[in-house]
Formats: sequence, structure tokens, C-alpha cells
Amino acid sequence: MREPTYLILTALASGPRYGYAIIQDVGELSGGRTSLLPGTLYTALDRLAAEGLVELDREETVDGRLRRYYRLTPGGVTALEAETARMRRLTTAAETRLRTLRPQTA
Amino acid sequence: MPVTSDPLARRYRRLLLCYPRAYRRARGEELLATLLEAAPPGRARPTAREAANLIGHGLRARLGRPRSRSVVTWAVFTAVICGLFTAALATRLAWETSPPMPDRAEAAAILADVLPGQQFAPGEIYPAETLFAIYGEPLSLNSVNDLLFGDGGEYALTATGASRTGFPSLPLDQTAAVAEQRLRDGGWTVYPATHNDMYGCAGPPCDPATIPQDTRLFAKRGNTTLELELYPQQHADSTYLAVSLSRTTPAAVWPAAVVGGLLGAAMGWLLFGWASRRTQAPHPVRVPVNVLFGVTMGLWWLPVLFTVPFMVEHHLGEPHPRWHPLWEWLGQPVFSLFLVAGCASALLGLALALLPSRRTQPQRVATT
Repeated sequence: MREPTYLILTALASGPRYGYAIIQDVGELSGGRTSLLPGTLYTALDRLAAEGLVELDREETVDGRLRRYYRLTPGGVTALEAETARMRRLTTAAETRLRTLRPQTA
Repeated sequence: MPVTSDPLARRYRRLLLCYPRAYRRARGEELLATLLEAAPPGRARPTAREAANLIGHGLRARLGRPRSRSVVTWAVFTAVICGLFTAALATRLAWETSPPMPDRAEAAAILADVLPGQQFAPGEIYPAETLFAIYGEPLSLNSVNDLLFGDGGEYALTATGASRTGFPSLPLDQTAAVAEQRLRDGGWTVYPATHNDMYGCAGPPCDPATIPQDTRLFAKRGNTTLELELYPQQHADSTYLAVSLSRTTPAAVWPAAVVGGLLGAAMGWLLFGWASRRTQAPHPVRVPVNVLFGVTMGLWWLPVLFTVPFMVEHHLGEPHPRWHPLWEWLGQPVFSLFLVAGCASALLGLALALLPSRRTQPQRVATT
């Protein structure tokens, strides 16, 4: 799973979000490193919807602008959990090796 | 999407035209709202990054199949080959801006200047009647068989020619040296002479050093090219000298290739995208269309992949005052049967894609 996809799923993990809110959330989650543009976001949402990982929650019109809220499907939750576990295993392995490396380099 | 007076919204809408119409109908307002919300106050124009992003993702959306990562690769293959073929067609049309091949008078004047020792009577000069010919004749319905079934390579640029047979009055080395000097003095660009074996070894014993070599001299001046071939004389009725006068590539060919190529690539992308969107699962003819697409790509790409290495080797092997026309690099019309069969396969695939799909395109985000 690519990082922007992971960040979008993570943004939706705390509840339904609409387009711009997802962009903001992804920016915050990545510490400003990932700045999604709307074109990229909607291509990713199309793909995630086709894969059954996200779905439409509801629509609202605010100040004359259409907002569609998206949420994770159960499959999306599972995919996010699996990816998070995979990354955790990797970071744990990296931390373990770094701990063994530090005393030698100190 | 409704019309707006906001200049930024208007410009975003213009960029959203890169997305297919059905997609704009389904997602346009939402996408525009997100773009406007993400834009800082006071911005009147999309940034270059935003514009590139919308164009890129809009063109991607035209391919449909959002889950597929390979669809972009196939679309690129399609766009490139369509662009190459339309560029080749455009260059052929642009060749019509070329002046006719040198006539007898022009050829006689050049030959008298370059080969003063050889006096060609007007009847010894054979002017080309057309720019391109197959077996000496312009392309016509009668040439379809030759063109399609193995003799397409005979379709080539013509040249006004003259030759000499018998015994040379001067040693050929001297003729070549005089011609080269006269060409340079006459303002011609002269390319290094090449020498090739007249024949290969038939079998041992064979000493390659004993094989006679021809001499070929290429030159260019203005819109005229000259090729002088000198063959070590072997028989009383053998040709020992041949001159061809032809035309350089007209200037209009280059812009025509670029414009034709870009238009063809865009058309290829749009047609591929249209068929790809229409045949997204669960379309009843998805598999046959995919197969026909594969057949088309094979029939179109194989001649190109087969021909290009030979053409590169040939171009590097001898001087070229004029590059071979683009279609020859694409293996055309030698492999024109492949091209025609590929066109038939593509048209059949497009016709099948016209059959109604089992659901509305494009895929919408599911509601619950």
C-alpha cells in the first residue's frame, strides 16, 4: 500500500470525512510531508471505492458547495489494520536492530 | 455543472474538461468544491501544479478501470503507436510540398558540372515522374496487391537517374576524386565516400581482400541530393557509373510529423479510454475486446520493433543526406498487411465496445 493511500484510509479511520477535510487530515497526519491535491485524492478514492475499501456516507451542501462524506468499509478497516500491523512489524524490527547497533557505534 | 462568475471556478471547470463527461456529471461539482475550498483566499488562477495534476488525473479518469495500474501502460502503448502512424501519414502528405524530382534539363546541368568527363545525352537521363513510386508507377488501386502481399518495400522515393556501361574512360578512383572536388567547388555538402564489397564470399577458398569494392558518394545542395555509385568494371555490358538525383526532405515534413503525431496520440488515448470505460466489468464483450486489443497491439507494434534495429544499423552504416521517411522506420509499407489487419481488429474491438454495458459508467462510489 502506498503512503498516500495509507494516509487516506487513516484519515477516514476516525470517521466519515469529505474531500477537503481528508486533504487537511492527510497533511496533519504526515506532518506536512504529504500534500494531496484534489485530482490525486479523487483518483485514489475512485480506486479505493472500486476495491471496496471506502464508500459514500452522505452528501451535504454547505455555502452552495457539494460535500460528499466517505467512510471506511469493513474491508477498508481490515486493510488498514493489516497494513498497520505490517508497518509495526517493520518498525519493531528496525528498532531492534538499531538498539543492537548503538552500543557498538557508541 | 452550472455556470459561475468566479474566475477561479471558471478556470478549474476548464481544466476539469480533461475528465470524461460522465465523470464530470458524477463528480464535477464535488471536485470543484474541494478545489475551491483548498485554494487560499485571493487566488484567481490554478497553480501550475494543480493544473498538471488535474490534467494528469483527468486523462487517467478517461481510461476508467480505477483498480487497474496497467491500464495506463496500455493506453501509452496505444497513444504512441497511433501517434507514430498518424505522424507518418502526415509526413507523407507533407512530402507533397516537395518540388518535383529534377527534370532532364536540371539533371543534365548538374551532371555536366559534377562529371565533366561523362557527357550524358538527354536520352540517357531518366527523370522520375512522381515523388514516390512502386515498381516505377505511382500508387494506385492496381498496386494494392503488391503493397499488401510482400512487395511493399518497393514503394519508395524516386530519383532521376543516369548511368554508364562499358569500359570507363578514366580510372574510377579518378572519377570519384574529380566528382568530389567538383561537388565541393559547386557548394555541395559532400559526405564521406563509402566502399562496400560487390559480393560476398560464396565459400572457401575465399580471400575477402580480392573482392572488388564499389564506391558511393553522397552529396546535398539546397533541396537536391546526389548519389554517385562507381562499380569496378567486370563485363563490357556492366554498369560502372550510376548517378541518382533526388530531393531532400521538405521543411514541412517536421512540423507535420509533430502535429500529426500529437493529434494521433491524443486520438489513440481518447479512443482507448472510451473503449476501456465502456468495457469495464461486467461488460458482456470485455474478454473479446481485450483479446482484439492485444491482437491489434501485436500487429501494429511487431513490424516497428522488428524494423527499427535494422533501420538504425542501416543509417549508421552509410551517410544519409536525407533520412528515410518515417513510415519506413515503422516497417511500412513492407508490413502493410499487419497494419491493415490491426486496423480491422481495432475497428472490430471498437464496434464490440459499442454494445450496451450492464451498468452505468463510470463506476460510482457506492452508497449504502
